[in-house]
Amino acid sequence: MTSMGGPRVGSLTPVEMAQAAVMGALSAALAIVSVVVPFAGGVSLLVTVPMGLLGYRYRLRVLLAASFAAATIAFLIAGISGFMIVLNCAYVGGATGIIKRRGGGTLTMIAVSVVAGILNGLWIIAALTVLARLRTLTFEAMTANVDGVISVMSQFEPFRQSAAQTRAMFATALQYWPVLLMGYAIFTMMIVSLVGWWALSRVLERLRGIPDVHKLDALTEMGPVAPLPVRLSEARFRYPGADHDALRPVSLTIETGEHVAVIGANGSGKTTLMLLLCGREPSSGRIDRPGTVGLGQLGGTAVVMQHPESQVLGTRVADDVVWGLPPGTHTDVGRLLGEVGLAGMEERDTGGLSGGELQRLAVAAALARQPSVLIADEITSMVDQRGREGLLDVLSGLADRRQMALIHITHYNNEAAIADRTVNLSDSVDNMVMVGSAAVPAPTPIPTPGVTSNSTVTSNSAVTSNSALPVLQLDGVGHVYGNDTPWAKTALRDISFTVNEGDGVLIHGGNGSGKSTLAWIMAGLTKPTTGSCLVRGRPAHEHVGDVAIAFQAARLQLLRSRVDLEVASAAGFSPWDTGRVMSALATVGLDGSLARRRVDQLSGGQMRRVVMAGLLARWPQALILDEPLAGLDAASQRGLLHLLTDLRRNAGLTVVVISHDFAGLEELCPRILHLENGVVASAVQATGSAGGLP
Amino acid sequence: MSAARQRRPVVLLRPVPGTSVIHELWAGTKLIVVFVISLVLAFYPGWIVIALMAVLVGVAARLAHIPRGALPSIPRWLWILLLIGCVLATLGGGEPVLHLWSADLEVGGLLKFLRFTALSIVLLALGAMVSWTTNVADVAPAIATLGRPLRPLRFPVEDWAVALALALRAFPMLLEEFRLLYAARRLRPRPVLPDGRAKRRRWLTEMVDLLAAGVTVALRRADEMGDAITARGGTGQIAAAPSRPRPADWVALSICAGVCALAIVLEIRGLG
Repeated sequence: MTSMGGPRVGSLTPVEMAQAAVMGALSAALAIVSVVVPFAGGVSLLVTVPMGLLGYRYRLRVLLAASFAAATIAFLIAGISGFMIVLNCAYVGGATGIIKRRGGGTLTMIAVSVVAGILNGLWIIAALTVLARLRTLTFEAMTANVDGVISVMSQFEPFRQSAAQTRAMFATALQYWPVLLMGYAIFTMMIVSLVGWWALSRVLERLRGIPDVHKLDALTEMGPVAPLPVRLSEARFRYPGADHDALRPVSLTIETGEHVAVIGANGSGKTTLMLLLCGREPSSGRIDRPGTVGLGQLGGTAVVMQHPESQVLGTRVADDVVWGLPPGTHTDVGRLLGEVGLAGMEERDTGGLSGGELQRLAVAAALARQPSVLIADEITSMVDQRGREGLLDVLSGLADRRQMALIHITHYNNEAAIADRTVNLSDSVDNMVMVGSAAVPAPTPIPTPGVTSNSTVTSNSAVTSNSALPVLQLDGVGHVYGNDTPWAKTALRDISFTVNEGDGVLIHGGNGSGKSTLAWIMAGLTKPTTGSCLVRGRPAHEHVGDVAIAFQAARLQLLRSRVDLEVASAAGFSPWDTGRVMSALATVGLDGSLARRRVDQLSGGQMRRVVMAGLLARWPQALILDEPLAGLDAASQRGLLHLLTDLRRNAGLTVVVISHDFAGLEELCPRILHLENGVVASAVQATGSAGGLP
Repeated sequence: MSAARQRRPVVLLRPVPGTSVIHELWAGTKLIVVFVISLVLAFYPGWIVIALMAVLVGVAARLAHIPRGALPSIPRWLWILLLIGCVLATLGGGEPVLHLWSADLEVGGLLKFLRFTALSIVLLALGAMVSWTTNVADVAPAIATLGRPLRPLRFPVEDWAVALALALRAFPMLLEEFRLLYAARRLRPRPVLPDGRAKRRRWLTEMVDLLAAGVTVALRRADEMGDAITARGGTGQIAAAPSRPRPADWVALSICAGVCALAIVLEIRGLG
C-alpha cells in the first residue's frame, strides 16, 4: 500500500489526497482532545503517529497538505495552542516517518530531534524577542504567582530560608530566559520524538497485514472520452497471486439507453466486472470501446458505490454535487437535486442526511458529469427500506431519460426487475446453493396496537412475558443532546418499556429515530436527560458493562491485536487462560484455531462473533446488538441469526436488537418496538412465539 | 423523573442556528479579522487593547445573536484554579497600592494576573466567534481564495484547500469513531494490577491498542474516500457558490482596521 500509481510529480493523486485529509483530520482530532479535555495533554504526543505514517508511506507533498489541513482545523477549534501542537508534531512525525522509511535507527532519530529542538528553540526565542510586551506580561504574571507562594512560605519559619532562595532562583531564571527556553525546547523535542518513534514503530508493526480496501485506480489514458458501446469478449479477471478467477469469462455488449442489471451471489465477480467496466485490463479476453473510459469525466463513466457515508465528499449538499468538476464548469445544481428527489436541500449539511439521501446525492453528483454510463454498485445494500425504494425510483427510467446506459449491480433479485435485461454472474449451481441471492427484505407490516388482540402490548405495560423477571426497566426516558445550548436536539421522549429475562426485543426505526441513543442509554453509556433506565433495579449508567452492547462497527470494538488477547481483555480474564478463551470462542461458534489470529485478518462476520465472545464471557444481564446484520453476506447473516436464536432459546440470553430492517429477525425477536422521531410508535408481540420461556 | 442537570457540552464546528450580519460575512473576512486581532494582542497586550478587542468581540456576539447557552459549562476545577491563582498573585503584592479603609493592599500582582487571564479569554472568544458563526463548508473555499496570491510562489494552495475541505468532512466521522472507541473501552472490566510499574506498562499497551484501532479505521476511511475521489475523476471544484468578499465584508474589515489602529495608538501613547 505504499505509493499508488499516478504521477509522482505535481498535484496529489486521489489516494494521496484522501490519505492526507483523513490523517490530517485524525491528527487534528488528537491535538484538540489534548487541549480541550482536562489532563489529556499526553495525547498530544500521539499526534506524531498519523503524521509519521504519512511520512513513511507517501511523499513530502502529502505530509505538507495534511499538516496544513490539521493545523487549520486545530486552530479553528482549539486556537493557537492546538495549532502549535499540530505543527510541532507534524514536523517530528514527518521526520520520524521519513527516517523509518529510509531505514534509519533510534540514534539518527535522536540526532534529528536535537537539531529540531534547536531550530524550535530559536524560533520561540525570536518570537518572544519580537513580542516583547507579551513576554513581559507573561513573565510578570508568573512572577506574581511565584511571589505569592513565596510570601505564604515566608510566614512559616522553617521555610523562610528556602523561600528567599526560590525567589532569587526564579528571578535569575527569568533573566536567562533564552537559555532556559532553548534547553526546554531541545528536551521536549527529544521526548516527543522518542515517544513518537516508539509509538510509530509499534503501530506500523500492527498495521502489517491490514487489507487495502481501495478498488478504483486513477487512469492515465489519452484520447477522446467515449465508453459506449462497450463489448466484452470472454473477458476474465484473476488477481495477481490468486488461485482462482475473480470473474469467470464474460461476454456482453452494453449500448446507450440500456438499463442492465447485474446479479450474482457474493464472490461471483460483480465488483470485479464493475472494475473492468471502469477501465481495469482483463487478465484475458478483450474489452472494446470506441474511446476512453473517462472515469468521472464529463460524458464518461460514473460510479456510485456501496458505502453511503464515504461516497459524499462535500460538507454541504450543493458543494458535493459539483465536487471535483473541472473549474469553470457550470452546473444546474437545483435541477439535478430535483431529479434525484432532493429538491430544495442545497444548503443542507451532508452530515445530517440519511443513508438513502446520501446515496441519492451521490447519484446526483454522478449525473452532474453527464455520464454516458452510470454504474451503481450495490448502492442499496446499506440503506433502509424506505431509502431503498426511493433509490430504485430514481434509477428506473434514468437510462431512457438521460440517453445513457445504467448498469445496476445488486444481490437482490427483485431489484433487477426494473431493468431492461439481467446478467446473472452466478451460473454455477453449487454457488447458488452455497450462498444464494437474497430476496429483498420485505417490510413487515407494523400492526397498530389493539388490532390483533392478545398479541399487542402497549408501550407502558410490562406484561409481555408471563412470570419472567424484568432485566431492563425504562421509565419515562427522554434524551436531549446539547441540552440548554442553541444546538439542543431531542433524540428521545418519554420512552417506557420493560425487557424481561430471556426476551428477544427488536427496536426498529429509521434514520434519526433515536434508536442508537436508546441503545446507549440501556447499556449505561449515556445518562438520559429525564426518566430512569434500571438494570435489575440499579441505574444503568452507574453499572456500565452489566448490559453488553455490540456496535455496528465491530472493528472499533476489537481493541487488542489478537483474537485471544481481545477476548480475554473484554471478558476480564488472563490471556494465558486458554481454556476460558476457547470456551468463549466456542459459545459463539468459532473454532479454537482462530485464537491466535490477528483481528485484522478476520472477516466481518467473524469480527462480530469475536466481539460477542468477549461480551458473553462476562455473563451480561442482556446483550444489545446494533445493526448486527449490516454489511454481512447472506450466509453469515443466517449463521449469526441462528447462533443468536440458539443462545436466547437455550442459554436464556436476553437479546435486544437495534435495526432499520425486520428481515429474518422475527424468530430472534418476537417483540418489536417501533421507534419514530424519538417516541415509541407501536409495540408488537409477534404471534406464536414466547421463545426461551417456560 | 426530575430533569437531571447536565453540563453544557463543547459543540465543535457547528454554527449557532439562525442567521445574522455576522453569519452572513464571508468566511475569509472572519479569518483575517481573527488573525489581525490576535497579532495586535500578541504585540500590545495592554489593558486598553484588551478592553477594546473585548468590546469588539462583545458587539459582534450581540450582532450574531449568540445566546449564553452557546458557552460550554466551565468545570468547577477551572474556577478553583483561577481563584488560587488570584489569591497567590495578590499575595505577591507589588505596585499599585490600593487604600481600603485603613488597610493598604498591594494589587500589582493581581492586576498582572487578571490582565493575562483577560487576554486568554479574549483570544478564546475570538476563535469561538468564528466557530459559532461560520459554516465549515465555507472555510476551505475561503482559504483557497485567500491563498491565491501564494500560487505564483508555487505553493500548492489548491491542493491544501481540497485537503482541508476533505479533512473537515472526515473530522466529524472520526470524532464519532473516537466516541465508539472510548465507549468500547468503558464497557471492559478494569484489570486489577499489583503495582505502579505494571499499571504503567498496561497503560502504554492500551494506548498503542487504541491508537492502532483508530488508525486502522482511519486508513479504511481514507481508502474509501480515495475511491470516491477517483470516481469523480480527481479533484476540481470544491464549492458550488463563488467564495469572495461582498460590500459588507469591506465594512467589517474597515471597522476592524480602525479599532486596531485606535488601540495601537492609545497603547503607544502610554495610556494602556
